[in-house]
Amino acid sequence: MAEARPIRLLIAALGGEGGGVLASWLHAAAIAAGHFVQGTSIPGVAQRTGATTYYLELVPGAGARHGDSAVRPVLALNAAPGEVDVMVASELLESTRAVQAGYVSPDRTILIASKARIFTVDEKVAMGDGRLDEKRMLAIANRFARRAIIADFAAIAAEAKSPLNAVLLGAIAASGGLPIPADIFRAAIRAEGKAVEANLRGFEAGFDRGSDPLRTPSPAGSDVEARGLTPSSRKGSDPLDAFPAEAREVLATAIERLTDYQDRAYAWRYLARVNRFVGMPGADATFIRELARHLAVRMSVEDVIRVAQLKLRAARLERVTREAQASAGDIVDVTEYMKPGPEEVLGLLPPRLGRWALGRVAARGWSSWSWPLKICTTRLSGFLRLRMLAALRRWRPRTLRFAEEEAWVERWLAIVERTLTADAAAAREVVATAALVRGYADTYKRGLANWTRIMGEVVEPMLAGRLPRAHFADAVLQARLAATKDPEGEALAGTISAIRRTGTPGKLAAE
Amino acid sequence: MAEVSFHKEIESLRLGDDQTFYGEGILAVTKALLQSGVAYVGGYQGAPVSHLLDVLVQSEDLLSELGIHLETCTNEAAAAAMLGASINYPLRGAVTWKSIVGTNVAADALSNLASPGVIGGALIVVGEDYGEGASVIQERTHAFAVKSSLWLIDPRPDLPTLVRSVEKGFELSEASNTPVMLELRIRACHMFGSFVAKDNAAAPFSTKNRLGPARFHYDRLAHPPATFRQETDKVGRRLPAAQRFILENKFNERLGPAAGDIGIIVQGGLFNVLNGRLALAGLSDAFGAVALPTLVLNVVHPLVPEEIAGFCAGKRAVLVIEEGAPDFIEQAVGQILRKADLNTRLHGKDVLPMAGEYTPYVVAKALAAFFGQHGRAAPALEDWIAGVDKRRTDVDKMLGAPLPARPPSFCTGCPERPVFSAMKLLRQEMGPVHVSADIGCHSFATFAPFSQGNSILGYGMSLASAAAISSSQTNRPISVMGDGGFWHNGLITGVAGAVFNNDDSVLIIMNNGYSSATGQQDILSSKKEPQGRGKGLDIETVLKGVGVPWIKRVRTYGVAEVMSTLREAMRTKDKGLKVIIADGECQLARQRRIRPEMARKVAAGERVVRTRFWVDPEVCTGDHSCIRLSGCPSLTLEPNEDPLRTDPVAHVNNDCVGCGLCGEVAHAAQLCPSFAQIDIIRNPTRWDRLKLAISTRLIRLFGGGTARLPLPALVPAE
Repeated sequence: MAEARPIRLLIAALGGEGGGVLASWLHAAAIAAGHFVQGTSIPGVAQRTGATTYYLELVPGAGARHGDSAVRPVLALNAAPGEVDVMVASELLESTRAVQAGYVSPDRTILIASKARIFTVDEKVAMGDGRLDEKRMLAIANRFARRAIIADFAAIAAEAKSPLNAVLLGAIAASGGLPIPADIFRAAIRAEGKAVEANLRGFEAGFDRGSDPLRTPSPAGSDVEARGLTPSSRKGSDPLDAFPAEAREVLATAIERLTDYQDRAYAWRYLARVNRFVGMPGADATFIRELARHLAVRMSVEDVIRVAQLKLRAARLERVTREAQASAGDIVDVTEYMKPGPEEVLGLLPPRLGRWALGRVAARGWSSWSWPLKICTTRLSGFLRLRMLAALRRWRPRTLRFAEEEAWVERWLAIVERTLTADAAAAREVVATAALVRGYADTYKRGLANWTRIMGEVVEPMLAGRLPRAHFADAVLQARLAATKDPEGEALAGTISAIRRTGTPGKLAAE
Repeated sequence: MAEVSFHKEIESLRLGDDQTFYGEGILAVTKALLQSGVAYVGGYQGAPVSHLLDVLVQSEDLLSELGIHLETCTNEAAAAAMLGASINYPLRGAVTWKSIVGTNVAADALSNLASPGVIGGALIVVGEDYGEGASVIQERTHAFAVKSSLWLIDPRPDLPTLVRSVEKGFELSEASNTPVMLELRIRACHMFGSFVAKDNAAAPFSTKNRLGPARFHYDRLAHPPATFRQETDKVGRRLPAAQRFILENKFNERLGPAAGDIGIIVQGGLFNVLNGRLALAGLSDAFGAVALPTLVLNVVHPLVPEEIAGFCAGKRAVLVIEEGAPDFIEQAVGQILRKADLNTRLHGKDVLPMAGEYTPYVVAKALAAFFGQHGRAAPALEDWIAGVDKRRTDVDKMLGAPLPARPPSFCTGCPERPVFSAMKLLRQEMGPVHVSADIGCHSFATFAPFSQGNSILGYGMSLASAAAISSSQTNRPISVMGDGGFWHNGLITGVAGAVFNNDDSVLIIMNNGYSSATGQQDILSSKKEPQGRGKGLDIETVLKGVGVPWIKRVRTYGVAEVMSTLREAMRTKDKGLKVIIADGECQLARQRRIRPEMARKVAAGERVVRTRFWVDPEVCTGDHSCIRLSGCPSLTLEPNEDPLRTDPVAHVNNDCVGCGLCGEVAHAAQLCPSFAQIDIIRNPTRWDRLKLAISTRLIRLFGGGTARLPLPALVPAE
């Protein structure tokens, strides 16, 4: 009956990636190769950044039917699960979505998937790390495809200075999934006539990558795991030997950071604080490392002095120049957006004076007042202003903000210590709550309020025996996760009330 | 000026006899209009049929050669009313719009068109925006065909069939004096395929060969007492004429063997989905050679009772495959069977879902159930369904959690985003406010991270839908409307009504200069640029003209200014309508204009400043407040380089167009000091370089700078 079984290709892309042009190259190439082809697309609402799909079926050797009105192939406009021969995904999550929808099957589908991530809004708006697990998505791609060609095609495109769609076309050509010789694709790009050089460059880059699926390059930035805790400078010997080996890298980094932040003595104070816990029952190496990590972050809090110091780093300009892809001979200017409020400015005063001044500000209803600044640090006047601010570093220990931070750190450490004697697992969770307190202005206030609430309504009552302690660690963990669920604090309120009612957090914030 | 240039497509509209046309479905329909000798074409843009108008707008030469009048209508009601030309004159005309919404807007004119009927063929090409990729409420155009006695073609998605449907559609319209609708689903509109073309035909009467006014003829008016005669004529004469035409021209296709104890009746538009599943079951192939009696309804209204009864006679059972609700066709088939006294068992929505798109999976399940009930085992279908189910379960198990959706959102640098950032910030300050949303790009604000909007009542309807809310809430409601919606009907339906009734309400008009969401078509207030079709009409002048008492203009990117203006509108003691015109050109259009210009200047050695934003990864603490207030695609995440921290930091990628929103938000919300504006001066002047050299030397004097970057020369070599 049939001249041949149709060959089917499905492309999952994002609006604005040139999926339409990619489809038109494929149509033109299929026709030139003598096949009958039909394609369609769901371009997405208004073509703006949402998920889009392009679908194509071709009947090999039936090209003559294009000019035939009587006997024509009847081809599908919807891809059917399990019947897709080549699946192309321009982004990793979209490849997972395609597998989930059933379009990738082990007996048939060649999957060409980009490892590049374009995060969804859901992932980006999370108050902590909302990113999906990349490894799991890669595992799914590899498990369900007959053959998986996975590479960071976006990086390959950037390197080739070419559009992504041309790179993907190259990979499709190389995959052998369509009965179309590579030269016909090249001819299709030339015939299209737009940005031919760049597109051909991309095609070749994609073709090389697609032909060699066993190569596993790891483009810079893709190995999140490997980043971990591996600072370059590990200063040998000395005081760190007293600490568990697992924590030494963190401690070394922290000492360096805190010396830069304040001075050597401050770094020693840090070390002494960590040392309080070494040898305590329940304080294993991981515990010490995590405590050391959070403590270092909290002790190098980004007050205005620190921000000024960081912004004057010479290495910054080099980085900006590189990231902005400025060419030699271009002039690059950096203008900082800063807007300190009363807490930041008056926090520079000595504690008693600062508290009095803040009280006056609050009494007059000026608390929401702030000072919008745009400071060009690559020019002298802007540089000097930040330079003066950074020079307040020596004054810092006398400031209100410093006193408040020190008080917080001591309170936190004291609670950790008391929890450690009661429940080691819970202590670990109390350590982790330190990450709630971060950021600037409202973010900082919200984090601090959430932390204070968790301590006051969960941890302290459990330590004091006013709440059952059976699920101590889980309760603290769930409360911490809930605190980062929504900025309005609704999830946290729900979790805390569940804990207070039943002694367990339920499963509210488990995910 | 639409989003795309259609140079190639316009060439293909000129193809003649025996040449092969390659292109998408909606263009094939456009070509078929030209082959059918249309005298006039009109419509209102909207996916998936926008290209029909966009292409013709750019085909001025071709249209004038053929004498075709083209009208880009204010809205679908205007487009439907335009078909009134075919009531009195032997003019073939076609209009197009997105359905169901466009048909709703057009309904009044459609009824008044259908009642007197037409003498020139009248064709309405509707984009049936149903199923995956649809952006409107899910309803069927079919209902309008039934209630107004319009004929509805739902052609098999195959370009020769589409083209024939258009050509035969005009003939059907003329043979039965009835306007005809041609519905095309999203995938059919965007379907790339081929057909053998014919020469274009010039209409006998047109802009080149004009005719005189019609004689006064009362029965051409939709006015009593003619309306009573017209109602009788519709069912007594026009309907049988149409049914005869459909039969005689074999509009519907009978496929497969003549005999068989079970058969399938399918909407033309769904045939390809059905064929794929039948092929899987071994009952068809890639050329549609079905092994089961199948009736493909390319005309879904009216049905021809003798055709249906003839198909069903002698069959134990038939399956009607009809997408969406209500089941108009199935009900009609049931009635036909009953009246013909046939006891063929009728299946349809008993094995198919009542609502939702009929995908291959859905159709496969229905076929399996249908075959199962009538003793036809279909192991290949059953195995396929089981395999799909298993694989989905396996993937879900490995995933553990649902995947986040990826809805469309505002483009990078979109001028509308800052307004919603300001509204979100104001919500934190003033508490919740009722937001009356509308159709247009701004409806993306209903998605995260803005998540605002309490209702959408249709295009240009936001203000009208807030009418009863303004008097029953403590905070004034805010209505959002685009300039597209404003001209579509918002000016009259919303603004005029609110002014007349003194509604104490706030309206924000997003003035981005185009009907952007549909592909940046020009509207009345678009600029009169070289290729522009706009008239440069100022919306503020229009608002003053209809008596709006309180009007403010803001530049959208100034978040603080938008906030203070909005705060003022919410708090002012002035009663009545308060309108804020939020100015900011559609960034897609702007980039398309300025990018080539910038590239040209850079190449020519002229001084150009490129601005973008940057997040300092050392200062960012990974809370992502900035993203929650912006949602810009170029504001994304990057792994934290700091070994002491784990959460990803915010990061601006190189797609940034330097609109400045992230910096503005960081200021307005007093977020954090991580944002910096980067200005890259390309081809700097001598003066630029001298200033930099002096500044850099002084900075070094004060201990700044770096030895690693070369010091700019004081007197640069040219």
